[in-house]
Amino acid sequence: MPAPGAVDAPHSSGVEQGAVGSDRIVRPRWRARLVRGFVAVVLVGQAVLIVRGYADPHKFFAFQPFNESSTWRADIVRVTADGQRIPIEEPWPGGYEWDELVRWRVLERPGTMRHAYSGLGTSLDFLDDALDWVAANTPEDDETLYLEATTEAYRNTRGPEVLVLRSDLRDEAR
Amino acid sequence: MSATAVEPVTGDPTLAERVDDVFDRPASVRSLALLRLVLGPVVLIHLWPFLTDTLGGTTYDDHFWVRWWGFMPQVPGEVQVALVWTGAVAAIGLSLGWRTRLVAPITWVCVAGNLFLSQHHFRHNRAFLLFLLAAVALADSGRVLSLDARRRRARTGARPGDPGDDLGTVWPLWLLRALAASVYLASGFSKLIDTDWSGGLVLWDRAVRHQHLVRERVPEPIADVVVELVTARWVHTITSPIAVAIELFIGIAIWFGRTRLAAIWVAIFFHVSIELSASVEVFSLAAIAALAIWATPATRDRTVVIADGTWVRRLDWFARFDVQDRPGAELTVTDRDGTVHSGGTARWLLWSRLPVVFPFVAVARAVRWRRS
Repeated sequence: MPAPGAVDAPHSSGVEQGAVGSDRIVRPRWRARLVRGFVAVVLVGQAVLIVRGYADPHKFFAFQPFNESSTWRADIVRVTADGQRIPIEEPWPGGYEWDELVRWRVLERPGTMRHAYSGLGTSLDFLDDALDWVAANTPEDDETLYLEATTEAYRNTRGPEVLVLRSDLRDEAR
Repeated sequence: MSATAVEPVTGDPTLAERVDDVFDRPASVRSLALLRLVLGPVVLIHLWPFLTDTLGGTTYDDHFWVRWWGFMPQVPGEVQVALVWTGAVAAIGLSLGWRTRLVAPITWVCVAGNLFLSQHHFRHNRAFLLFLLAAVALADSGRVLSLDARRRRARTGARPGDPGDDLGTVWPLWLLRALAASVYLASGFSKLIDTDWSGGLVLWDRAVRHQHLVRERVPEPIADVVVELVTARWVHTITSPIAVAIELFIGIAIWFGRTRLAAIWVAIFFHVSIELSASVEVFSLAAIAALAIWATPATRDRTVVIADGTWVRRLDWFARFDVQDRPGAELTVTDRDGTVHSGGTARWLLWSRLPVVFPFVAVARAVRWRRS
């Protein structure tokens, strides 16, 4: 209900202006608290995300752009049930191709040394996720047990750091 | 005279009263309306790659994607088609200010929904865009510079510039100010404490590895000199701390009236330099447009007396001035505190508050100040 003597509200719908002579917006007490609570939650949440960014490889909502000048490359192989290690550049049962499967320039042509998009942590974490995704989305490949990436990384020119990442095991080849 | 009425000051307000003012005192939402005008094209540019993908029959789940949370079910690709196309149409409505209270939240939902389909859709500039869209949606940004405002005027008989035509709740504006400043501060602080960054190693290595881009963009006679300069280690030892200081300066100085204009000019320079040297999608455009939110949320609280005020009215997008034409009159500007300025001071006060000419006027002023 508008306050007694309220003027035509020029504000957002549901927001009432105070009585004539006052330039205050009058809201029901619960709504005023809700608005203040919402703002407090957003500000605290933003602060938490910014601090969390120092432990998060992706730095989601932490606003740390251009944080590194790191580089990386990876040799990715398909490990078959009989132990063969076949580079993904070679023909793949089902005609799959890595670049078409990931279709994201950050992870395409993994054998080429490239800038680590959004930092080394982000790039390698996405590579790890991509191994799992590719393993789970190549149903016509009945010989690959898992995918394995051996990464070579240089963190701000220092390195190499070598890491081996493996996808989940695939049921299709078991 | 159509100046916004202001209550007489009865002593310094307490912190609690200041906070209450943020939530309960209506003020001009014109700066958010200006931001809204720009956000429509920004959203369209942002969505463009997704729109073209969907036109080609490709959605996010046709290739690698990562869910944000383990409990989240896989969303069908058709949902992305609906999100990006609805978002694009809503963005046009947003810029036009057509049913703003409806289309602004829709735009936010569509952009946010598309971002949260997969972790690999995340970019810092897209997160920043979400902040801007949220503020525009939460405030009544369609009160002015919109089809909604035109329709309301037709209904009520009001005219553009009538007192109170742009008043609304401004807590979303203050919230957005806090979030926008936090972006500069978070970025600057993270680089400050990273010795690789503040010591110049990060920028130097990037310059060395991308020097071929300089050769592509800079004409041959001076390309060698430029490359030699940008790949020199000592250059980045000097410029990297300056870059960090710029971000921190913007995040702090933009809060204070005495330093705000300088912070805004530095921010424009900062974003233009980033746009020229890096690929940041819509960040530069969105961030420069977002500088509008730092205009004091009051309109026509300064009076300009001028012989012909046509161009002032055209360029005064924030409606900072009550423009009074007086043929043959010399330019005078009456400031908020009642001080009457004339001559060069009046020209500076006038031109420095008009957004389009501000970047150039600020440089001219700085050069003149330095010479004197």
